[in-house]
Amino acid sequence: MSTLLSNLALGFSVAFTLHNLGLCFMGCLVGTLIGVLPGIGPIATITMLLPVTFGLPPVGALIMLAGIYYGAQYGGSTTAILVNIPGEVTSVVTTIDGHQMAKQGRAGAALGISALGSFFAGCVSTLIIAGLAVPLTRLALLFGPSEYAALMTAGLAFAVVLARGSILKSIAMVLLGLLLSTVGQDLETGAERMTFGLPSLSDGIDFAVLAMGLFGFAEVMRNLTVDQARDVVHGKIGKLLPSGAELRQSAGAVVRGTLLGAILGILPGNGAVLGPFASYALEKKIARDPRRFGRGAIEGVAGPESANNAGAQTSFIPLLTLGIPPNAVMALMVGAMTIHGIVPGPLVMTRNASLFWGVIASMWIGNLMLLVINLPLIGAWVRLLKVPYRLMYPAIVIVCCVGIYSVNNLPQDVALTAVVALFGYAGTRLGFESAPLLLGFVLGRLLEENLRRALAISRGDLAIFIHRPVSAWLLFTGLVVLVVAVLPSIRSRREQVFVEE
Amino acid sequence: MGRVRVQAPQDLVAGASLLAVSLFALWAAAPLDAGRMSAPGPGLLPRVLAVLLGGVGVWLVVVSLVRPGESLGHWSLRGPVLIALSVVAFAVTIRTPGLAVAGPAAMLVAGAASPETRWRELAVFSVAVTAVCVGLFRWLLHLPIPILVIPGWVVL
Repeated sequence: MSTLLSNLALGFSVAFTLHNLGLCFMGCLVGTLIGVLPGIGPIATITMLLPVTFGLPPVGALIMLAGIYYGAQYGGSTTAILVNIPGEVTSVVTTIDGHQMAKQGRAGAALGISALGSFFAGCVSTLIIAGLAVPLTRLALLFGPSEYAALMTAGLAFAVVLARGSILKSIAMVLLGLLLSTVGQDLETGAERMTFGLPSLSDGIDFAVLAMGLFGFAEVMRNLTVDQARDVVHGKIGKLLPSGAELRQSAGAVVRGTLLGAILGILPGNGAVLGPFASYALEKKIARDPRRFGRGAIEGVAGPESANNAGAQTSFIPLLTLGIPPNAVMALMVGAMTIHGIVPGPLVMTRNASLFWGVIASMWIGNLMLLVINLPLIGAWVRLLKVPYRLMYPAIVIVCCVGIYSVNNLPQDVALTAVVALFGYAGTRLGFESAPLLLGFVLGRLLEENLRRALAISRGDLAIFIHRPVSAWLLFTGLVVLVVAVLPSIRSRREQVFVEE
Repeated sequence: MGRVRVQAPQDLVAGASLLAVSLFALWAAAPLDAGRMSAPGPGLLPRVLAVLLGGVGVWLVVVSLVRPGESLGHWSLRGPVLIALSVVAFAVTIRTPGLAVAGPAAMLVAGAASPETRWRELAVFSVAVTAVCVGLFRWLLHLPIPILVIPGWVVL
């Protein structure tokens, strides 16, 4: 307990410098600003703003990125409530009752409870992260190559199951991501792999090029083809603070949502997306009058929004302790950390203690700032929502271009991104999702390294993965999850969950 | 019995594309040494992954002939191609003459991607956004982005 407190104290001493507070504030503000724009989810927001952090010291960069992430998520909820357009899967549920509340002139209360619930969830999950970090890191140090390889495989299996759309196609995307990660110099032998003699490929495909192409430009291409009809709430926003009765009504939902979201968020492979759905289903089930749901029930906003934020935060746990990103957003964080010369994994906590705890402490500060920033600025966000897409998308294109150029100062990178984007767009039209690909890509090198090390230890005997209990158990879990997901009864329910209302 | 009817055109094309990628990767990885199981070489994983990917592709093709699924849908080319072109325009102009030209150029090409674009409005807007980018990235963040470079005359 006392080590926990001293660790947190160290963290707060790092986070509470004027410089880092400023970066946290900027991150939250800019993240919300971009995240509010309809059709831009957290992944696209982080990709766009990644270059902004290049000039910063690592601690500051990570603090700012985490702020951008929370900001983008909160911005997404704002859009879900006011415009009925979910920025990403996790705010789909918020549109159901949130937008109804907005139509009834209670948008303020919906936004308010979502901010308050998220803040509560943020406080709890910061404590969970701080509490779990030390034991999990100790556990991670016991992991050998076979356990790591098994853990990553299980994580990818979870990611496949939790992605939207066809399971077969998600598997294909994970495989393609892994395949793309093998391009470039081989780590052990130094052999050039599938580089076609191009010097720019010998370091491998640039992460930023891939991410920006798939999530920046391809997103614009996709949005151009769908009708951008918007249903911005007219009329009054209403009081921002929920009334006493509304607070009492949603308190339980907030607590339950937080716990559900936090637990699901720790799961490898994007468990965080399940949080809001699970919370909504739970609230509807235990409500005295379930018919209110879908007609502006405040619990239907409070629970899922808390779950959303809790999951967003606890999904940092696998990344910070094991070095394994559980979803595409965390994959971006890995990319950012690598650019700053930090290799995510169990050693970060001991080698860069002030960075590790500083980032955790700043999570809590970031949540507090969101509350402070967003409540007074809601009027500004509403005005921003009225900017037409015909002006927004050229601006997005230019910011992405500058961003990708500034990674390596190479015009070739920018051109290559355009090609990636075209492939990404074609992929979407064929029903392929980009998120599993990015996750596979980021895990690829790590997976191969551990796989080859494990095989070297066992002298080529694949049975090593089954003889070691932890890796056997992990692989078994991954397999069960995949098999269960393919079974017809579960499949139809999975489709139901992801159907947008 | 007669000709096989395609039940799911989208899956057919998707599967065929995966197969193409897989064959391409197998060809590209052909010169690499796969090594032995006890000492895996650089070629092992790419080859295994390519084969698995091809397997999924074949499976998708087979299923598309049997199980009804989605059609290919409407592919609009104007948007994606013009967006890609605008990015290329940026890439070509960013070194010389620099962001001051590359910014508005890219935005104007991008504008052609949407039928809703109002040109005069976009022209003004593109200059404003470029100015903001210069302020943000060059002055505030100190990123080494060329702003206006005309050889032998101006370098900003």
